[in-house]
Amino acid sequence: MVKRHSPEETKVAMHGVVAEMYDKMVKGDPPSMTLPVRTKNNIGFDPKLGVYKYGKKRSIRDATSLGSAKQLLRTLHVVEFIEQMIDAGKSSTLREMYYISESWGMGKFGTQNDSNNLAEDLEIVTKCLREDFKLRPEEDGARMIGNLTLRERNRRGEWMVINARDDVGDSGYGLPYNVEEEKIELLEHDIDFIMAIETGGMFDRLVENGFDENYRCGLLHLKGQPARSTRRIMKRMSEEWDVPIIVFLDGDPWSFRIFASIAYGAIKTAHISEYLATPSASYLGITSDDIVAYELPSDELSNKDIEALNAELTDPRFADTWWQDQINMMLELGVKAEQQSLAKYGLDFVTDTYLPEKLKDLGLA
Amino acid sequence: MGIAQKLADNQKQVAISEFFEKNKHFLGFDSLARSLITAVKESVDNSLDACEEARMLPTLRIQINKINADKDIIEMKTTDNGPGIPQQSVEKVFGQLLFGSRFHAIRQSRGQQGIGITGVVMYSQLTTGRPTHVRSKIATEATASVVDIGLDTRKNKATKSNAAREIWEDENGQLVEHGLEITCRMEAKYQKGRQSVWQYLRMTSIVNPHADITFIDPEGEVHHWPRVTERLPRIVESIKPHPQGIHLGQLQRMCNESEDSRMTVFLRGSFSGVSSRSAKELCEASEIGENTKPKGLKPEQIRSLLDAMQGEKTIAGKAVKLLNPPTNCLSPIEEMLIKKGLSKTIDSRFITTMTRIPTVANGNPYQVEVGLIFGGSMAADKHVEVLRFANRVPLMYQQGGCLLTKAIEAVNWRQYGLEQAGGKGLPKGPAAILVHLASTNVQFTSEAKEALADNAEVMEEARKAIMEMGRGLKKHLMKRKKMAKTQEKFELINDILPAIAEKSAQILDRPIPDLAGSITKIMSAVISETQTTWNKETKMTDVSVVLFNYTSRARSYTILCTWPEKFGATLDNNEMGGRKEATGVWAWKLATLEPGKRITISYSLGGLEKGDWTETDVFYRGSQEVIGATKMDEKFLDEIRRQEKALKKAGMDIIETRDNESLLDFESDDDESFDIEPTEVVSNSFEQPTVEAPEGQQTLFGGGN
Repeated sequence: MVKRHSPEETKVAMHGVVAEMYDKMVKGDPPSMTLPVRTKNNIGFDPKLGVYKYGKKRSIRDATSLGSAKQLLRTLHVVEFIEQMIDAGKSSTLREMYYISESWGMGKFGTQNDSNNLAEDLEIVTKCLREDFKLRPEEDGARMIGNLTLRERNRRGEWMVINARDDVGDSGYGLPYNVEEEKIELLEHDIDFIMAIETGGMFDRLVENGFDENYRCGLLHLKGQPARSTRRIMKRMSEEWDVPIIVFLDGDPWSFRIFASIAYGAIKTAHISEYLATPSASYLGITSDDIVAYELPSDELSNKDIEALNAELTDPRFADTWWQDQINMMLELGVKAEQQSLAKYGLDFVTDTYLPEKLKDLGLA
Repeated sequence: MGIAQKLADNQKQVAISEFFEKNKHFLGFDSLARSLITAVKESVDNSLDACEEARMLPTLRIQINKINADKDIIEMKTTDNGPGIPQQSVEKVFGQLLFGSRFHAIRQSRGQQGIGITGVVMYSQLTTGRPTHVRSKIATEATASVVDIGLDTRKNKATKSNAAREIWEDENGQLVEHGLEITCRMEAKYQKGRQSVWQYLRMTSIVNPHADITFIDPEGEVHHWPRVTERLPRIVESIKPHPQGIHLGQLQRMCNESEDSRMTVFLRGSFSGVSSRSAKELCEASEIGENTKPKGLKPEQIRSLLDAMQGEKTIAGKAVKLLNPPTNCLSPIEEMLIKKGLSKTIDSRFITTMTRIPTVANGNPYQVEVGLIFGGSMAADKHVEVLRFANRVPLMYQQGGCLLTKAIEAVNWRQYGLEQAGGKGLPKGPAAILVHLASTNVQFTSEAKEALADNAEVMEEARKAIMEMGRGLKKHLMKRKKMAKTQEKFELINDILPAIAEKSAQILDRPIPDLAGSITKIMSAVISETQTTWNKETKMTDVSVVLFNYTSRARSYTILCTWPEKFGATLDNNEMGGRKEATGVWAWKLATLEPGKRITISYSLGGLEKGDWTETDVFYRGSQEVIGATKMDEKFLDEIRRQEKALKKAGMDIIETRDNESLLDFESDDDESFDIEPTEVVSNSFEQPTVEAPEGQQTLFGGGN
């Protein structure tokens, strides 16, 4: 189970990683670091947790190739940097760490992606969380609107009570990157479900049409592939308030992946799936069926789309018949559709017709 | 003047303009831009040919000035240091169309293409009405002669004016000993790019590494291509007709005009490629008595002689074996010089060249040469640059329709490491490919003489040469990849691993661990690093081979290196001693190499110029693989030794063969030595050994790669 670590525990965990390298060298072997394989071939369903986690496959990163050796050296620099931050009571963004690595000589990062991946590697092998490392994400948190009330501790350390309908403007309540209990407390709500929406345009459409009030729901803008904090807050609301999470996305292969990361766990963060994923979340649309049933304006699948769909067919998270049918159907149709293509039937069609019909199918309207 | 006379005069004037107008596409004056290139080309060809015949190293200077940009009037001034032209001949050379004897000789020459400098004089006259100013100095006279040459378009001959003598000083105020300078004005346009004077001169400089060329463009920018060799192209000889390329009429005439008393003497003396044995066999096959007088042959006898010559009449089903015509009528640039020519004009990392053995198609000798230059500052995402040449003359137009381009396109470049869409067409990559066809009879697609016509045999020769070069490129790329890998490993153990050790020790607050064990495990190999570098101070090529033993056991090896012995190089400062293993291969038997230890072999090569030798091939004998070297294939060494012996027996010196004096001797030689056919001997000096060279080996004969 994911748990937070104290600064001392974090240091001990990191020293374990360093000691593995050191001991190998003392024994006359190349230094190394052992990691789970982070591909779809090494994730499996954990029935106890109800999410997908890394399997047993391990890869050893050892210093027999230049690339791996550099990666090990970077790891050591990152460990040193985190220790310094812990001792100084500071934190930094992943991007800041990327720039700080400029002074690490041979251990500097090639790309920002390198530094993100390495932070995740360290999380995995130490079982600590990014937050324990004092590393912050760059990504934007989600925004929410609806009759739900929470308490956020502001910069001055004071708790503020916020109602995400009455105390906010049209852009809603913006979630901070840290949504843990020390920062946010969920107080009370008067909603029947939360609807997570992929695009800002659709979020604003639903806000303008007053969908949250008419259908007693909270609206949440995912901003594409949802950030960790967005997935974490959905998980908390689902557990603490016991409200259903309904996911409304575009109808394309990438939306399917967004849903999988919300409901089953993302491949990249499978080590903390039980902390981020909401297994009870439901996919509302756009489905492949919808494209046909509503005769939605559509775009042809690109080669990349087709590749992605084929990859999903062998992804264990999409192994059930409903998903297989949806994916195969999209491949057969050869097209994808955006959420906003519903506007073909007018601005109110989505709130007056489409969503009520779909919610009815899910037993929510 | 009567009206009739006037009309006639006008008509003549029209005629010469019309001649130009009608034929300007093949005279090379069909556009303003091309006219300028043609003018430069005629003048440069003239200079190069003159210097070559006089055995002088050419120094050329070409200056282009815009006189009137609005009207596209350009002045061209070309100067050479050639023998000059005697005063009385100037008129002839510049004024008479198709002047010059080489037009009908059977040998390779630049002048086969175009109508020569007369065309330039004519074009200047027709477009600007101005004569061409000629300054000429020959060594035996104290002063230079100057004269303006124009064309009398009525009489269709040269006109002379302002003839005088003057003292000729160069730009440094030095008296010019001999040379020729041409100044003319014409309607023309100066352009930049692929089809430009600059590109023409650049290409000319590549295939004439013995020339020093300076070009001053209209903006005043000076482009200089220096001389990179003192060696002149060898003298090309005219040859007698070869039996396979002869026509009936020509044979009849030769028979009729012959004063010889016996057929065998006639056949041996009047044709190339006919030995005394084959002369006898020709008589036998054509059923003509050996002692018959050629002059008295009946038409049907001549017919059957022709059939015997061309393999249609045989002896016991076998065609009479003829020697190839001598190839001293060809002037290949040769591998080492192509390499130099390319590397002085194009910045690169790797060059491979290949000069095929001269071959004969229908009695016409021809020879294909190719060069490939790779890497450096060339664009990686564009098509390779194609540099086409026929008899050392750059071909700049009609690239797509040319046989030489088609030969490049017919090769699957993907297997050699270049990109090629669909596996055919011009490949892409940071490379330039040079193809040179030297022949006594170059066949063009059209009178424009810019593209070579299709010919299956030549195509196959070119394709083979190009593929051979492709293999060289592939080997180089693989070698480079291996070297990069080795380099990476060194970076790993020398830089990264110590940093890991230090940082981890510091974080854990423990002592820095010893890395010897880790290093052996990481490398687990014997590694060699070879460097071949030009030493500016000593003017020598320094070679060093370092051998590292990163295994856990002691190892012993013999290391062998290639060096350009055949090109007259000397092996100096070789403190490790060793011994000669074969021509161009030196060997060192090394003392036992303990684990974790290294050993260095170093020596210098003298007698070479910069760029002559840039890569040394390293071989080893020993049980454990050496990364960065190739295991010696003993069969390969045996083959080299076998050829050495064969050459010694034939009494031939390899270096001399390249100058080809010995082939001349062969022609006049009469007896037993004919048992070795010239082609065979030539192949001994040019060709790769028949045994496949081991991996990583370029050519022990061609001087590196």
